[in-house]
Amino acid sequence: MKERRKQGWFEFARAVGTILAALLLGFIITLFVSKEPIAAYRAFLLGPLTRTNRFGNWIEESITLTLVGLAICLVFRARQFSLAAEGQLYLGALVSGLVGLYFQMPALLHVSLAVIAAALVGFLWGLIPGLLKAYLDANEIVSTLMLNAIAIRIYNLILTYRLKPPEAGYTVSRYFHPTALLPRIVPETRITTAIFWAIAAVFVVYFLMYRTPFGYALRMTGANIRFAYYGGINTKRVIYLTMAISGIFAALAGAHLSMGIHQRVILNVSMGLGFEGIVVSLLARNNPLLIPVTALFYGYLRAGADIMERSSDVTRELVMVIQAVIILLVTAEGFLAFLQRQMRIRRGAELAEGKEAGDVI
Amino acid sequence: MSFDVVLRSILSAAFVGSVIRVATPILLPALGGLISELAGVTNVALEGLMLIAALVGVVISAFTGNAWLGCLIGVACSAVVAILLAYFHLNLKADIILSGLAINIASSGGTIFILYLLTKDKGSSSKLASLSLPRIAIPVLDGMPVLGPMLSRHNVLTYVAVLLVFLIWVFLYRTRLGIHIRAVGENAEAAGSVGINVRRTRYIALMLSGVMAGLGGINMSMGYLNMFQRDMTAGRGFIALAAVHLGNRRPLGVALASLFFGFADALSNQLGSLAIPPQWVQMIPYAATVLALVVYALQGRAAAVERARRLQERLQAHVEATGGE
Repeated sequence: MKERRKQGWFEFARAVGTILAALLLGFIITLFVSKEPIAAYRAFLLGPLTRTNRFGNWIEESITLTLVGLAICLVFRARQFSLAAEGQLYLGALVSGLVGLYFQMPALLHVSLAVIAAALVGFLWGLIPGLLKAYLDANEIVSTLMLNAIAIRIYNLILTYRLKPPEAGYTVSRYFHPTALLPRIVPETRITTAIFWAIAAVFVVYFLMYRTPFGYALRMTGANIRFAYYGGINTKRVIYLTMAISGIFAALAGAHLSMGIHQRVILNVSMGLGFEGIVVSLLARNNPLLIPVTALFYGYLRAGADIMERSSDVTRELVMVIQAVIILLVTAEGFLAFLQRQMRIRRGAELAEGKEAGDVI
Repeated sequence: MSFDVVLRSILSAAFVGSVIRVATPILLPALGGLISELAGVTNVALEGLMLIAALVGVVISAFTGNAWLGCLIGVACSAVVAILLAYFHLNLKADIILSGLAINIASSGGTIFILYLLTKDKGSSSKLASLSLPRIAIPVLDGMPVLGPMLSRHNVLTYVAVLLVFLIWVFLYRTRLGIHIRAVGENAEAAGSVGINVRRTRYIALMLSGVMAGLGGINMSMGYLNMFQRDMTAGRGFIALAAVHLGNRRPLGVALASLFFGFADALSNQLGSLAIPPQWVQMIPYAATVLALVVYALQGRAAAVERARRLQERLQAHVEATGGE
């Protein structure tokens, strides 16, 4: 027990250390490139808190990232490298938009229908690579990348040829019927009721993963697929269902973007948000309860980077470098092992002096 | 009527020429992806490696006035980053997919960042007087009526790419190192047990994939276009990865798959005169790749069943011959 708690603290310290190291690197780069590095970095680190709309941007971003992060967390926990979130997000945004544009009904019903339609499409779009992987052992990285490309083409196709009104100067749809818009709950921001979905989704994924037989099967499959298989788990079913369920959350992120943020269907609704979800999930060590925390952190970085770009001579792409460093440091398990070995050696020395005889691994 | 126009333009020699032109920056990284894939390490960083080489090539050529030096240093940078990726994967035990994606993110952001530093422009390097690699007129072919416009006056890297298809085939199937690479990818433990240095082999494979992706990036910014644009690879690194699988992980197959992607791309550009939305055509190669995954999987399974059946027969025959002992 003591050992486990120690492990938890170690993980926490490691995450914080990783973030600090990445931010430090970002600062060093800023020092080299900026005429006013301190002001630029202050805008980056404190910017999101300075105005209501900036605070709003941060929270809006975090809602999207939480949902995408949960989608990634599910598949990664089952050790499936599905990168389908990007395409599912596009389809979720599209389908909720179609419902928002072409149907008319009372508000609550309209929103619910749009959300359910988006979730269903996300589920089905995840089921395809899931079945291909489960029954044919088709490489899920390749199949999901292809399906993303197809999904984005479908999105552009329908947006350009069906949804765009002829008189529109650029490629956007009309605004949705007001009944299909998510109510905004904080004045001066675009924070909508989607924040409640995000919170609920965190607990749903947690419950699914840790309190249901399916979740147990999922975690076992991720830990060791052969062991799970010989232990009687239907690993094929786990694989395709996990990839399909993950699609629901990615599609919800898309629905949030079109019904909550933009209120219409726009071109390039996500520029790689599906991949950003990977950072969120990795930093949370694929633990659903930690995902809102890392999403808030990462949403903060992105909102800060936007403000830095507008108020200084440093461009927002700095945050992408920081993001990459975080991924590399978090995934480098050899790096972790090295640190742990150092700790163990130190503890070994303490043991030899007879200070602590309790827990040895 | 307009369908007629499109059909005629597709059957023209110029169209074949444009397919080859468009296929080159897919083929080069795809050959790199093939080498690393065969070594058992999926290099998803091709996209980012291309961007790095594309930018470095442009910048170096603009500052030194030497296009070839730009090409060389660009490819070298791409190879160095590929080695860094190999270090994270092979020494620090980072997952190859995730660290590859990290390289992509860093490259996409990093190249824009550096572009802005150098030109105060986040869109393109049009302010830099960068150079391109030469186009080559093939002596005899050039004058010919149909073959000339098809095959001559392409960028030098197009010819390099064609040459590399054969060189890489020889490398993978006829040299010691190539066979080691395939052995490591087939079964790393078995390869290790007969004395092949798995880690070193994978380092080399990833480095080579970095070189190929780098050539592809140089082709983008110093041939296909004459400048660097933000995220100019536009997913070609991922398409290259798909071409590896569509081509059933063989050099010639990869070349044909790249041509197929090039064909669809060139065709969608031609469709402007028709009422068919280009997205339909753009989707075809992606859907074909998914289909190819299915077909190869079924083939693989059929082959396994066949092997098992033959083994069964041989056992049966053996049992009958020995009278059930």
